[in-house]
Amino acid sequence: MLRLIGIEFKRGLLMLRRYPMEMVGQLIVITMIFYGLFLGARYIAGPTAQFGERLDALVVGYVLWTFALFAIGDLSWGLMDEARTGTLEQVFLSPYGPSRVYLARNVAGLLVTLALNLGILLLIQLLTGVRLDFSPAVLAPLGAVLLGAYGLGFMLGALALLFKRIQAFLNLFQFVLMFLIMTPFEQFSGTARLAGELLPMTIGAGQLRALMARGEAFDPVVFGLALASGLAYLIAGLWVFDRAVRAAKERGLLGGY
Amino acid sequence: MSVLVCEKLQKTFHSRGRSTRAVQGVSLRVAPGEVLAFLGPNGAGKTTTIKMIAGLVRPDAGTVRVAGRDPHRDPWALREVGAVLEGNRNVYWRLTPLENLEYFGVLRGLSAAEARRRGRALLERFDLTDKQNALTQQLSRGMQQKLAIAVSLVHEPSLLLLDEPTLGLDVEAAETVKRMVRELAAGGQAIVLTTHHLDVAQQLSHRVAIIREGRIVAEDHTDALLARFSGEQYEIEVAGEIDAARRERLRALGAEPLEGRVVYLGAPEGLWDVLEALRPLPILRVEKDRADLTEVFLKLIREEERA
Repeated sequence: MLRLIGIEFKRGLLMLRRYPMEMVGQLIVITMIFYGLFLGARYIAGPTAQFGERLDALVVGYVLWTFALFAIGDLSWGLMDEARTGTLEQVFLSPYGPSRVYLARNVAGLLVTLALNLGILLLIQLLTGVRLDFSPAVLAPLGAVLLGAYGLGFMLGALALLFKRIQAFLNLFQFVLMFLIMTPFEQFSGTARLAGELLPMTIGAGQLRALMARGEAFDPVVFGLALASGLAYLIAGLWVFDRAVRAAKERGLLGGY
Repeated sequence: MSVLVCEKLQKTFHSRGRSTRAVQGVSLRVAPGEVLAFLGPNGAGKTTTIKMIAGLVRPDAGTVRVAGRDPHRDPWALREVGAVLEGNRNVYWRLTPLENLEYFGVLRGLSAAEARRRGRALLERFDLTDKQNALTQQLSRGMQQKLAIAVSLVHEPSLLLLDEPTLGLDVEAAETVKRMVRELAAGGQAIVLTTHHLDVAQQLSHRVAIIREGRIVAEDHTDALLARFSGEQYEIEVAGEIDAARRERLRALGAEPLEGRVVYLGAPEGLWDVLEALRPLPILRVEKDRADLTEVFLKLIREEERA
């Protein structure tokens, strides 16, 4: 698996280098957004998850939003693109199987995006002299939320395999993501709370709100639940994707579009 | 021992309430070093069969064994399969040839270092070394096809599936691909080749299987199939006019003198008497009628249509 992640990381970096304008554009956008946040323009991050008024809360909210969007959509966009350009079947000829290859591709993609964002963030801190001040404990629920997001990503990937063109649906999914991340289910009670927390990403997002907006202490039990939810959705996503691969092979859907 | 054994493959596709029986009971075998030309009109079931062999389409019934393993049950059976699929780019255009070879090598189970090493050797073998660092999208169509074949071989599979490998190539590039197929087969590679270029199939294949409407309608060694459809007649082309006396003698020998040529339909040893009767007219050509694969293909397909 490490071998696969390594080669996918290399492929990801090479592809990025081969689209220089796209990379420069991406860098400029990320830099401007972070710089704007640092200068106090909180509206610049758009309708993102905001976990409080403080700068570190704004940055964490923005990072979570962009990473979750990436985790949910990247696989589906990639599948649609590869089916169009005609490399999908070659990837499916791998004895590792498509689930493992795409899981490795997701991890590698996350590493590349993480490196880009962290690099810019550090650079801006150096340039502005403003230091972010948040507890490393924040990273734990962030990771749990991303696991759930990747689970959803695999479920949408399954749809992309079977129904081919799901661009409109993917764009619509931004609102679903906003609902999942922004609704404070942890402050609901009774069945509404239980139902909300059974949804993907909600427990981790709630813990981030508790840590950053309400200044509460890190609760390992809540984190345990967030992690369990993230893992459960990731496993469910992989299972659904495997079923979709099987169905696509049954129906002969793996060719070009 | 066969590298590929397919038994009674069946596949029906269902779409919008309609069923299409794409493949009905196809069985194939290919031995090491053998090229099987798998021919058929459009929509006959060639690509579906190839994809069932490659594990990309699941058969409704029947079995596939590649080097003794079933790619539909054991994913590592795919380690023994290399495929260049028609209508696909098969490789990443934004990567260089060497990067493609390394990437797909690792995807097929090699270490990155081993994939790079084999990749360099393949680029040299396929005359692409000077292009190893160029972007694939900048290569000619012929070079891209050579690269796709190189990528399909990087993990040294026992079975190579080539779906229309000469489609869209110019004459020179097609010749290069043909030479590569011959060399690979001579090196022991088992190859299944589908093509609409029947002259290519005739030149490259050891055996031919012809599929129509999902069923195999003929399967034999290429030479045997051609012989089966070849006539017994000889045609002799001569310069100068055949005079009346010679015409009479030729007819007595069972030959038919025509304008500038003689057609003989008799025992092969009688041909010498026909040639003697023509002496001293200059003989331009003596040829036994021999069907080519195009004739065989069309005859079989039309016979099936009539049936």
